[in-house]
Amino acid sequence: MLKNAFLMLLSLAIAIGGGGASVWYALKIQDGVGAIRIGQWTAFPDIGTPAADPYSKARVAREGVLALGRAEGLSFVAENDAAGDQLKRECTYRIEGGFPTARFWTLYAADQSLGVVETGKSRLAALQSYEVLRQPDNSVIISVGHHPMPGNWLLTDGSGRMYFVLTFYDTPIASSTGLSDVSLPRIVRAGCDA
Amino acid sequence: MRSLHAALRRLLHAVLLGLVGAGIVHIIVLLLVPEFSERDAWSRLSMASDLYRMNRLDAEAGGAPVVKSVDPLFYATACRFDLEEGMVRIKAPGNVPFWSVSVYDRNGHNVYSFNDHTATDGKLDAVVLTPAQMIDVRKDLPENLQGAIFVEAPIDEGIFVIRSFVPDESWKPIVSRFLDQSSCELQDF
Repeated sequence: MLKNAFLMLLSLAIAIGGGGASVWYALKIQDGVGAIRIGQWTAFPDIGTPAADPYSKARVAREGVLALGRAEGLSFVAENDAAGDQLKRECTYRIEGGFPTARFWTLYAADQSLGVVETGKSRLAALQSYEVLRQPDNSVIISVGHHPMPGNWLLTDGSGRMYFVLTFYDTPIASSTGLSDVSLPRIVRAGCDA
Repeated sequence: MRSLHAALRRLLHAVLLGLVGAGIVHIIVLLLVPEFSERDAWSRLSMASDLYRMNRLDAEAGGAPVVKSVDPLFYATACRFDLEEGMVRIKAPGNVPFWSVSVYDRNGHNVYSFNDHTATDGKLDAVVLTPAQMIDVRKDLPENLQGAIFVEAPIDEGIFVIRSFVPDESWKPIVSRFLDQSSCELQDF
């Protein structure tokens, strides 16, 4: 009798504990269902729409996100560099390549919660397309790091994990048909402070 | 020996049953999260202000932002509305480099969005209304609504968000003023 009760409790514990924990884990990881990957960049074009999958819907409800609409723009997040290593705030990176068609884009360095990195200075850890210098072939090279660098410089500070968030505004790629042949800039590690 | 065997089998049975149960609980919890979340955008906004009140989403206005508006080069403002009380009209004066607008339903799903290229002379003047209210308005369009963008949304409660681009420091006061002077009002009809 006691053995039966123990087995029943075990089943219930596995069911409730396992079920709850797996939902929590699925909502926590960055690379969820419905993601589109282009190079190192990940986007969730369906997040925040009524057509989104249940995981995206739960994430929207839990985090209180108000996602960008299709006519507004589309955000890409990168957490690794081209070699597959995690982005670090103490390292310097080069972001280089062409950018897809859009009225303008913004790029910023983010922390774990995807908020902008605090630099402790009046210069934001963000750049936008109207202020960048371009190469003759219209591509852009951006240097990311704590120390000032010539050309386009994205200031970061601190240590720990970092993410890059690249958002295109008023862009045809936000309608998913345009997403198939989009190429995004590469993220190359140039060195580490130490 | 035989009794140990039987006990192991029953243990395995219990674990398997637990795993199947975990799958069911996973699905149920997942589907219930949006229903019971008290951290969604609507709940956060309703703690900060009333219906038909514009509420800045960026930290610039002082205090921590109510709903995270992610892009640091953007300012944003939001208001909640209830279409059962009538249609809602949103206006913002002035010219800024870029603005975009989204209408969200109660669960924070984006039901409609547009940007300044959609509007006549880039002026933000929009009316959100239900399809039934749209039929009434079509019959006799009031003079003062003629330039407005009509957003037909099959929802009752919703959130209206205006986002505006801040290209550099010098634009901050202009964009701030644009958002602070925006209005979100119940429109009589």
